[in-house]
Amino acid sequence: MLRRLVQWHREWEDEVHGVLVDPGHAAVAQSGMRRRLAAKLAALTPIERRQLREFSDAHRGPRGYWLLAKLLMLFSAGGVVWHLFVPAMGWAFAIGVANAVGITLLVGTLDAWFNYRKIVRDWRKFLRQMVGFWGVMVLVDAAFKVAVKGVPARVVFAALPSHLGWVLAVALLIWVPQLAVSLLRYRQYQVLAEQLQREAENERLARELAESQLRLLRAQIEPHFLFNTLGAVQQLAQHGDPRAATLTGDLIDFLRSSMRDIRSEQVGLAAEFGLVESYLKVMQVRLGTRLRFELRLPPALEQVRIPSMIVLTLVENAIKHGIEPALRGGGIDVSAEALGSVVRIRVQDGGVGMSILSGAGEGGTGLDNVRHRLRLTYGDGAGLALRDGDPGLIADVTIPRQQP
Amino acid sequence: MSAAMNTHPTVLVAEDEPLMRERLLELLAQSWPEARVALVAENGNDAWDGFLEHEPDAVFLDIRMPGLSGLEVAERIGTMAHVVFVTAYDQYAVDAFDAGAVDYLLKPVQPDRLDKAVARLRDKLGERPAAAGADMGDLLRHLKAALPGVRQERTRWIKASVGRQVRLIDVDEVLFFQSDTRYTRIVLRDYEALIRTPLKDLISGLDPDRFWQIHRATVVNVNAVAAAERLDAERMQVLIKGCSEKLPVSRTFVHLFRE
Repeated sequence: MLRRLVQWHREWEDEVHGVLVDPGHAAVAQSGMRRRLAAKLAALTPIERRQLREFSDAHRGPRGYWLLAKLLMLFSAGGVVWHLFVPAMGWAFAIGVANAVGITLLVGTLDAWFNYRKIVRDWRKFLRQMVGFWGVMVLVDAAFKVAVKGVPARVVFAALPSHLGWVLAVALLIWVPQLAVSLLRYRQYQVLAEQLQREAENERLARELAESQLRLLRAQIEPHFLFNTLGAVQQLAQHGDPRAATLTGDLIDFLRSSMRDIRSEQVGLAAEFGLVESYLKVMQVRLGTRLRFELRLPPALEQVRIPSMIVLTLVENAIKHGIEPALRGGGIDVSAEALGSVVRIRVQDGGVGMSILSGAGEGGTGLDNVRHRLRLTYGDGAGLALRDGDPGLIADVTIPRQQP
Repeated sequence: MSAAMNTHPTVLVAEDEPLMRERLLELLAQSWPEARVALVAENGNDAWDGFLEHEPDAVFLDIRMPGLSGLEVAERIGTMAHVVFVTAYDQYAVDAFDAGAVDYLLKPVQPDRLDKAVARLRDKLGERPAAAGADMGDLLRHLKAALPGVRQERTRWIKASVGRQVRLIDVDEVLFFQSDTRYTRIVLRDYEALIRTPLKDLISGLDPDRFWQIHRATVVNVNAVAAAERLDAERMQVLIKGCSEKLPVSRTFVHLFRE
């Protein structure tokens, strides 16, 4: 019998622990009270469950019962001391009351320690319950005295206000510390929750940034670009054309700046325009008369910071979807301009225009990447707008002048 | 394919980047001295138009070009010539080429690889042309799906001056297009217009299933075709609904109307 009870208790403990570890386990809990308890535990927030789990890890099983026994002995000892100071109180009565108060305090404290969210949220209800319970007890006691013990009603009524006063005081004495503990714990909970959320957010941002940089890297050093450029260098070198050296130099500039900028989150506009210029110089040698370009960066904006390689992505898009598919090529204008509190960077091409972008999977990804990185850096304070330039496409990036 | 047995086969080269074009032509002159380069095209539209004009034996096509892509030009050429693709795309695309009968060259083109391609071409030129591209259709479809950025956007409207008006012509309402040297004549049910864009540059924007090229200078809307008449063993002409004009079908396109 005892063994079966112990066995049952152990199973139940494991079940509770299982739910605390993973709330999904609540669905397989035994029906009845155990199921209801499991459902309640599963409805707690992850932080609350973690606190409960840590407590149960430290105190469950024999250790917990031993601690409880020690506490009960402590309460009883208190009762003995009480009896010694107030001998009118019987032994049994003193020890009984001491234990009753002690257990009430213990349960109240545990309640405040773990159930703090509810206590803080429904503090009025808890106060009402506390006062109501003790008030009813006083009234029951008074009725008992009148009806059973035959104490005159007059005497009982006379003592009632002071009894109620006492009861109120006791209720408040329990409720105030409980609320105080709960408030403290609630505050800790909020700090912890905020911290966890911030950590999760930071982790997410870091992951997204790393991913977008990786995508950038892959898109950047695409074999198509490298092989075609090296082919052009080879052809020029074969004929001793001095442009071979210039083209190689521009390619080196481009690759070096790319490698540097991929690792840094933000760069100055001067560096970004430098990168774009080396890219366009390479492309101009390759495309010949089909590409013309112009870069305009006012000296006042050279130090403005921008997420790295954003302008380059737009220029590559303009080449890939604007100039290269156009039978007669076209021009690319890249400019930066201060407009009030924002800086606008414009990439305009004279190529085939918007219609090409609509179905282009590749181009879409590049632009999505730009939008994504702008949002990661500035939130809603920045944006990318595309419109038909007739001919070609205008891509405007606006970022706040004041850096975050 | 009379030239196939010829000692001087004709070649068409299409490549949009000037230096790559130069390089391919120089290397080709070394690897295949007896070949005669009939035309060098800078985009897909010129390549297709030049193909119809010169009917070369072999065609070197860059895949990514302005206008018609190299894949689309190859699709139109079908079995009329031997196609060698020139591409900077990576192994994935190359695997697909390996499965087919056509050859490929990776950019930048290297002399020893070109020698091999030319050797293969020399062998093939002696064979019957049909053997070259038996699986071409499947291969091209596969490649088009695999390679991004080589899809063609379709034209829906054409702006044209008619008298003192500028009309917006819905492509679907056009009966046929006819090349008039540097202009294109657009014929509709009720009127016709002349636009400055050459026909070869319009073709890349037209759906090849709805607009059939029946001659180097003529593209007809399939829905407007009333009938095709046989004139003799090689020549045909097309009759257009509600229109008295008869449009000649060139030898290259007679197969479109075979039952």
